[in-house]
Amino acid sequence: MKRSTLYLILIALLLCAGLPLISAGKTGDTAPDFTATASNGKTVRLADYRGKYVVLEWHNNGCPYVGKHYNSGNMQKLQKEWTARGVVWFTVLSSAPGKQGYVSAGEENDYLTKEQAAPTAALLDPTGQIGHLYDAKTSPQMVVINPQGVVIYDGAIDDKPTTDLEDVPGATNYVNLALEQAMAGKQVHTPTTRPYGCSVKYSDSAH
Amino acid sequence: MVLCAAGAEAAGTPIPHGTLELVAENQWSAGGHDFNLGLHFQLEKGWHIYWVNPGDSGEPPRVKWQLPAGLAAGAIEWPTPRRLGTPNIVDFGYEDDVTLIVPMHAEAGLSSKESEQLGAEVKVLVCREICIPGKAQLSLSLPIKSQASAPDARTSNLFAAARKSLPQTAPRSWRFSVNDAKDSFVLSANIGRQGTQAVFFPLVESQISNAAPQKLSPVATGFRLTLRKSDQLRNPIPRLKGVLVLSGNRSYLIDVPLSNPGEAKNTPGTGIYAAQFLEEGR
Repeated sequence: MKRSTLYLILIALLLCAGLPLISAGKTGDTAPDFTATASNGKTVRLADYRGKYVVLEWHNNGCPYVGKHYNSGNMQKLQKEWTARGVVWFTVLSSAPGKQGYVSAGEENDYLTKEQAAPTAALLDPTGQIGHLYDAKTSPQMVVINPQGVVIYDGAIDDKPTTDLEDVPGATNYVNLALEQAMAGKQVHTPTTRPYGCSVKYSDSAH
Repeated sequence: MVLCAAGAEAAGTPIPHGTLELVAENQWSAGGHDFNLGLHFQLEKGWHIYWVNPGDSGEPPRVKWQLPAGLAAGAIEWPTPRRLGTPNIVDFGYEDDVTLIVPMHAEAGLSSKESEQLGAEVKVLVCREICIPGKAQLSLSLPIKSQASAPDARTSNLFAAARKSLPQTAPRSWRFSVNDAKDSFVLSANIGRQGTQAVFFPLVESQISNAAPQKLSPVATGFRLTLRKSDQLRNPIPRLKGVLVLSGNRSYLIDVPLSNPGEAKNTPGTGIYAAQFLEEGR
């Protein structure tokens, strides 16, 4: 093998390693790492959770699509069931200050108590850094990361893109499917869907 | 103009930040004569509702009809939408004033003994920066007679405006083709003259990236429009369907088969490219 060929291979490998950064945290990509402050005051780094499944749940307490899943108890049930099975669950709050869904750490802690929510932690992302890393467009958009740190699901929470509570029981939940299939060593059948809901209220969103 | 026509009626049912009214194009219905109803939305400034493909967020209005036996509602005719939202999150919908036409089929045996009350339960999401779901129970009294119906002068302007806002069928002489070009679809159009403006609205969700800029390349007899594929697209698509808006806000419904139905962009695992490169390098 000639030296020039070796260089080409090196360049190719470097380009490939860079790909996930360019295309954001979409299914098949290495999950972009981030560090965030949780509402409980702790600092959370995603890379520290390698070896575990991680769920990211984009949240906005004023969004009626989010309301559907909290008022029905669906989101809390998912959080409890999956964290009991060793999954790490991060609720991510990417609303910018002054926008719907922006809350202080204390307000978020009150909300978690009131809703009896049970994520591993609620991550405060007022700059939208995590949201942009994963190109999160809606709440409640959901991302599932496998123990190898690869995104295996990105999209809607289920197949009923409505605000109606009565649509929760009959819905096919894509997060459940992805986690169950991946844990059984199977291919995730629906690795990406259109993430329905309210637009994420980043600082650049229109007034 | 539309506002004036509607102002005379002003009998809408409240929805969040607006009103909604069920209107008929004719004065009565008659067996064997199809006719049109309209869902007339009037929204406060800055608020919007959604197209059949809402784009990155939101959802279109949904209707449950309550109709006398012998009447059946067809599919909503959706006016050409507008791009709404932010640079990163793009939605498709309507602001201000919009009428959705619903074609109604009246069976030949429609009896004048049937109730003249038509009902519609409409669920609609109304958004500005925030979104509010609304539900309206609409009703309209429309007599059933045996003779063919006459247009209702009170709603004729409203329906004329609604019809004008619908995308048209493209002229027969125009030619379209779509190429699957790995990360994008390239829509080529021959419209007999240079095309200097073109925006495409996809009828099917998750085929193209809603927020990505649509690169227009004018050519002598038309244009090429490059549409980036959606991150959610996993499989090749057989056709590209949607509304094309050209200069002068003229809009056309197009449905173009792919010339080379190829692989979608997101084959699982980015490592594939590395493997190919290494093999070539040997």
